[in-house]
Amino acid sequence: MDDINPIPFTFRIIAVVALMVLLVPVLIVVLAGLNSGEYLTFPPEGFSLRWIENFFTSPTFLPAFKLSFGLALATTIISTILGTLASIFLTRSTSKAREILRGLFFLPVVLPGVVLGLALYVFFIWSDVGLARSLAGLIIGHVLVTMPFVIATVTASLVDFDLSVEEAARSLGATPFQAFWKVTLPLITPGISAGSIFAFIVSFGQFELTLFLSTPDLQTLPLAIYSSLRYAFEPTAAAAGIFAICLVTVSTLISTRLSNLKKLLSRR
Amino acid sequence: MTDLTGGSPTPRQRPSWLSPNLWWLVIPAILFILLFFLIPVLSLFASSFDKAMPGQITFQGNFSWNNYERIFSRSLYYTAIWRSVWLGATVAGVCLVIGYPLAFIIARTFRAGTATLLTILVLSSMQLDMVIRLYGLMVLMGDKGLINTGLIALGITSEPLPLMYNEVGVIVGLVQVTLPFMVLSLIGSIRSINPALEEAARSLGSSRWHVMRTITWPLSLPGIYAGTLLVFALAISSYVVPALMGGWKVITLPIHIYQQIAEVGRWQFGAAVATLLFLTSLFAMALYVVALRRNAGGRV
Repeated sequence: MDDINPIPFTFRIIAVVALMVLLVPVLIVVLAGLNSGEYLTFPPEGFSLRWIENFFTSPTFLPAFKLSFGLALATTIISTILGTLASIFLTRSTSKAREILRGLFFLPVVLPGVVLGLALYVFFIWSDVGLARSLAGLIIGHVLVTMPFVIATVTASLVDFDLSVEEAARSLGATPFQAFWKVTLPLITPGISAGSIFAFIVSFGQFELTLFLSTPDLQTLPLAIYSSLRYAFEPTAAAAGIFAICLVTVSTLISTRLSNLKKLLSRR
Repeated sequence: MTDLTGGSPTPRQRPSWLSPNLWWLVIPAILFILLFFLIPVLSLFASSFDKAMPGQITFQGNFSWNNYERIFSRSLYYTAIWRSVWLGATVAGVCLVIGYPLAFIIARTFRAGTATLLTILVLSSMQLDMVIRLYGLMVLMGDKGLINTGLIALGITSEPLPLMYNEVGVIVGLVQVTLPFMVLSLIGSIRSINPALEEAARSLGSSRWHVMRTITWPLSLPGIYAGTLLVFALAISSYVVPALMGGWKVITLPIHIYQQIAEVGRWQFGAAVATLLFLTSLFAMALYVVALRRNAGGRV
């Protein structure tokens, strides 16, 4: 087979370039965070944990990391619940409105982040119920942009679900709720977990929406790194980045384990 | 999509759980979207037709076209529109050229492990916080960055090359950020091409490039359209990349929106620019959905 359809040599070269474009910036962040000097030079001056230690005592980056983590956690819980319920409807209802709703749920990710951020900010000020510049307002914004990812992943796992299993439980006398809770839910749990991890990562790295909704005392990690990039290149930001990189890599590994990678990539 | 009766000849009586009366499941999500998405976004669009009043954020109800007239009567703004569109198109082109080979390798490799590893690399680089990746790029491309200090140390140039705080920097940044979306759009479409077609052409004596040009590329066109439009839409709506990599020298539409509002307090005008940006990206997204439909329908 290999000599009938080998991958052209030029393709291999360009693919390596593409991978470098994707990965070298990440590698640089890791190096800058572990480098002993103020500026990353080539070759690096030496290995040091100084910036990592700085991160743990930093008055900006550590609270920002904690805030981002907590915000992502709260967002994930809300958007997993709302998104999973909506997914069950989207896959099981026979209503004509299904397609319209599906489109509606995906709109928040189509809208440019700056536009959505501005719209929410103005709305929060208009409505004047204390959502402007508050943590609750931030969570609302993040739920909007993470729910589509939960719906996409959970819907994919429900479409493949064999309904006869649930019907069997029903015919053996389980109530609809029992049948769902004891039979269906455990079977679609991998899909739900993958969706919620997805939501967590999207919320954790969300920048453009947060820009409009946060305040100086509500600095998320992306915002803190952003302001350090505008005014001074602090290697502490890179050290904070290393922790974020680990978090995202582990989550991606888990979520690809949970959801069938091939299924996500090949369209039906 | 899903046939609830499972195709059985005699429609069974559906248990109440499976009956269409499932609206209570979706009501919370609908209310959430209605209250925190549709109402805010529609009122933002409405306020773009409101008379311009700097510093005035509340809705006044004085209909006027002023904000839109202002956008199209000042070269500053339509230059920004053109710059956004031009940057988006360039980024989509670059992503296609460097993304296609990678997608092809992931879709066609015979070693399953390689495909999985590459896919995970693409996925995790997509999911990593953009600002962190831009930090890496800025350390690499700045005047005192690794590339420039390296080139100067090697004696290739004496002056640092202007890699950042200009359009080059913005393009590289946008390519870095949007490339995974291109690759992921292409993989599905290349995978759906039956390899037997390529093998047949090869065994009949076509060269590898000829097969690529006449079979693989045309059959992956739906994925190419989808990926290009998706990348275009993402690129024109990015704020953080032009802000950091362009250093406020490359003014695109999202930068205008932020400046008009955060710095000058022109809410209605900012809303008008936002509406324009949304319509442009909605148009690209609508084409994207059409391309996806064709992608799903045109499978061999």
